[in-house]
Amino acid sequence: MDKKKRRAGFLFVLPWIIGILLFTLIPMIAALYIGFTDWTIIGNAKFIGLKNYQDIFKNEDFYQALWVTVRYAIFAIPLTIITSLVISIFLSKNRKGVGIYRVIYYMPAIVSGVAVAIVFKWILDPTNGLLNSILAIFKIKGPDWLYDANWVLPSYLIMAVWGAGGGILTYLAALKDVPQDLYESASIDGANNLQKIWHITIPMLTPIIFYNLVIGIISAFRKFTDAYVLGGIGKEGNFYMIYLYDRAFSQYEMGYATALAWILFAIILALTLIVNITKKYWVFKAE
Amino acid sequence: MKKIFISVSLLLLMLFLASCGKKGRAENEFLFATWAAGTELREFNDVIRRVNEKADGEYTVSVQSIPADYYIKLSSMISANNAPDFFWLTQELISKYADLGAALDITSWFEDSDVLVPDDFFPGVLNSATYQGKYWGLPWIANPIMIYLNEDLFNLAGVELPSATADWTWEEFIDICREFKGMKTADGKDIYGCIVDGWPNIETFIWSGGGDILADDGTVLIDSEESLRGLANLHTIITEGLTPKYSEVGSLGSNNVWFEKGRVAMFMGGVQDNFEYKQTFVSEEERFPIKYAPMPKAPDGGQWAFDWTASTIVSPKVKNKDLAYKALEALTLEFFTWKLAPPIIGGEEKIKEIAPLKEDAYETIVYTLQFARSANYLPEWSKINDKLWYDLYLLMLQNKPNFNYETETRKIANYTRNLLKE
Repeated sequence: MDKKKRRAGFLFVLPWIIGILLFTLIPMIAALYIGFTDWTIIGNAKFIGLKNYQDIFKNEDFYQALWVTVRYAIFAIPLTIITSLVISIFLSKNRKGVGIYRVIYYMPAIVSGVAVAIVFKWILDPTNGLLNSILAIFKIKGPDWLYDANWVLPSYLIMAVWGAGGGILTYLAALKDVPQDLYESASIDGANNLQKIWHITIPMLTPIIFYNLVIGIISAFRKFTDAYVLGGIGKEGNFYMIYLYDRAFSQYEMGYATALAWILFAIILALTLIVNITKKYWVFKAE
Repeated sequence: MKKIFISVSLLLLMLFLASCGKKGRAENEFLFATWAAGTELREFNDVIRRVNEKADGEYTVSVQSIPADYYIKLSSMISANNAPDFFWLTQELISKYADLGAALDITSWFEDSDVLVPDDFFPGVLNSATYQGKYWGLPWIANPIMIYLNEDLFNLAGVELPSATADWTWEEFIDICREFKGMKTADGKDIYGCIVDGWPNIETFIWSGGGDILADDGTVLIDSEESLRGLANLHTIITEGLTPKYSEVGSLGSNNVWFEKGRVAMFMGGVQDNFEYKQTFVSEEERFPIKYAPMPKAPDGGQWAFDWTASTIVSPKVKNKDLAYKALEALTLEFFTWKLAPPIIGGEEKIKEIAPLKEDAYETIVYTLQFARSANYLPEWSKINDKLWYDLYLLMLQNKPNFNYETETRKIANYTRNLLKE
């Protein structure tokens, strides 16, 4: 490639390079430094070494927020993966009206998180909410949902499952790629539908399941919008990102909050690496 | 190619510098950041227009509205060395901003002024703009709590209404609440004496026993005998079911709707609450006469009314501080003609002009203003407040049988002592 072409190429990628430098790389380096300061947003930053990190690991609120998030992730990730997988398998069949169902199930993915949270606030209302009204028809007294510490996590899980349709797009695309001759061979061997799903569909979808698992881990640990709107009695709705936001913008402890962000980054990175290591044991790879 | 490369690079550099640059303001040009939006912003702009007209070119004030995430935007502006010259802060943040050097100490101007001096303000309101013995802003509004009464429900229960300046106690208040227990609306829904769901705040109840959270010198009083006596009032209201269950309140939207719908006989609300205005929209059958009473008396004699208030702060970065203070006074005086209630002694007459619908409440508002107060807010307040909310108030609201509020209060007091020691 001659010099002129190289320069032209560089010119074309220059806006991107400037963008990534200004809005990603430099802020990341700045954030790394801010995590070692006592910066309050308003005042001057003073370098305090590892104090923020030491304070974080001594603070019970940090463990509480982390526990709320981990507990949510443990249940929400498998639940949403299973739900969207099952829905995708049903929607992959070319039945009459399937297009409408695809739109309905995908809808949550395009609705604003705040709008969803506001709707769920009503659905989960203990007195006049939709869920408890339905339960009342069957003479069941519904729980207090977000107002009962034991029911805050299930409330968020219901919301997570409701939004599981977001993942169906990737599963549907992958289902189309499963070779039909595999199913035909299985039929000749006398396999029933469940056996076909278990022995063909799921193994063939493992790369997409892996992708959704990684994305699920990231989004579960970064849960914010609906938790910010809905909360939850006591600190049961105090997810990690809510805790971080509170420290940054209510307590004005930007140094501390930035250190929290780096810890979150480390947690997500570690979990992603662990999942990645296990990949060779369960993710199908065509030879 | 070389020319294109240089042109694009220069353009990007210019864009970058333009985005980082600060537009300079002349010494007599001031920027006022406000959270006002919609109708309030239109009214605010009218106030600013009047101030500018009166200034007759000596200075001009322009407006920057920040209707969402006000404090995030404000702190970002200050951090970027682009602070507005004037901005509003609610009471609990003033000490924090003062501590961080983001508020101008106006003590000398304030004390030497011919226009507005500290004695002009209700002491409890002015206290909210005071930190370490200095003044950091001029309060422009006072919105202390009084009690709104549903006369129809009182008549139905056969209970005598407290008067507009009732000298009643918290025990009497609770006794009246008990009178409504078991009463139902025409369609069979429960009626309650009062409503407590995190509002009124914990300060109100702590003061109700003559206690406090922090003394002026920073001494922690949360676990004093008086504070615990006050919390006992809250405990009684919740455990005896004199208020709707916490989980039930949201079913009508918010706490004030319970009063509007005739489900609660006494509502502790700010003097600015517009129940009277809302009544003009409801049908004849749903309408009820509203009466007013001041807050009940604590054992220390005060009928303490938590006062939501805000102050106008001057940025320490302002170029001409004398002129800025002059503009601040002019702005503050104009605000007194705008919002209920002006926080100054003798300003009560303006109430009828500002809010004619509140005419019947006038006597109670005037009486209440004497007892308007805030907590002693230190820069660490938000942490203390978090503890009081999550570890005490919220748990009391859940009314769990194994929760001992006295033990928890002592723990919070110790936490606060350690926090302030740090």
